[in-house]
Amino acid sequence: MAEQLDDLTDDMKAAVGQETGRTTYEVTTQGSRTFARAVGYTDDKYYDEAAARALGYTGLPAAPGFLGMPVFNPQGDGRDEAFKNPFERRLNGGTEVEPIEQVYSGDILEAVSRITSLELAAGRLGQMLIQSSESVYTRQSDDTIVAKTRGTGISY
Amino acid sequence: MAEQVYWDDVSEGQEIALTEPMESQRLVIWAAASGDFYQIHYDDNFAKNNNLPDIIVHGALKGMLVGRLLDEWKGEQGKIKQWGVSYRGMDPVREELTIWGKVTKKYENAGETLVDLDVGVAQPNGTQTTPGTATVALPRR
Repeated sequence: MAEQLDDLTDDMKAAVGQETGRTTYEVTTQGSRTFARAVGYTDDKYYDEAAARALGYTGLPAAPGFLGMPVFNPQGDGRDEAFKNPFERRLNGGTEVEPIEQVYSGDILEAVSRITSLELAAGRLGQMLIQSSESVYTRQSDDTIVAKTRGTGISY
Repeated sequence: MAEQVYWDDVSEGQEIALTEPMESQRLVIWAAASGDFYQIHYDDNFAKNNNLPDIIVHGALKGMLVGRLLDEWKGEQGKIKQWGVSYRGMDPVREELTIWGKVTKKYENAGETLVDLDVGVAQPNGTQTTPGTATVALPRR
């Protein structure tokens, strides 16, 4: 069990508001279709580009919330921890999606993430660190912001 | 394809829903789709060694099911402005989940005709695990 903290550490406080990483996401046809299948979509437009174009889309659209997959790097993602987190277990506390522009297969997106808040709380699992963050996704081909996501991570 | 819903025809209190069986295979497909390979979602022994009764449904999958509910409801002419959910409880696999929404407000803003909704995910016994909110723009007739 992690040591009990009376307050956020200095490096935690310094991490709030800081950019924590830039990640490149590829929106592939296979990834887009697998996402649609996993979520249970049956609309042809998410699987068949011709069906999508017949509806006025300019390519194979990604279903809402699909923003591609990060390119796997066997050497690690190259991201440094923004602060030393003494809590080992992690839970996803929540997700918010703000779609702005339609994402298509073939898009390459760059996500810039920031920690927007950190707070300590007591819960059923003991002391927890609640981290809120925001990521802004920009399509590289036209420098358009296509989506923003906000998330809450819980460490305990 | 779903019939187009129009803002004029929506009323506060209106409910929408879909049901989804959550089998273990679905979680494996989601792991591939999302890149979330945390073993509590597909490895029984790992889950039980982490004090869980069974493997559990990914929170993000539940969030995206809410996105699907909204996407299928809004039709081709509508637009999801935002949606968000909190993961307040675990949903074990091998149960049918109900993904629901309820219109809480209907209004116009900056030339758009909008509706706000409460959204969520419910287990068969009625337990609510994933409350949230959403805003959708719908066309006028």
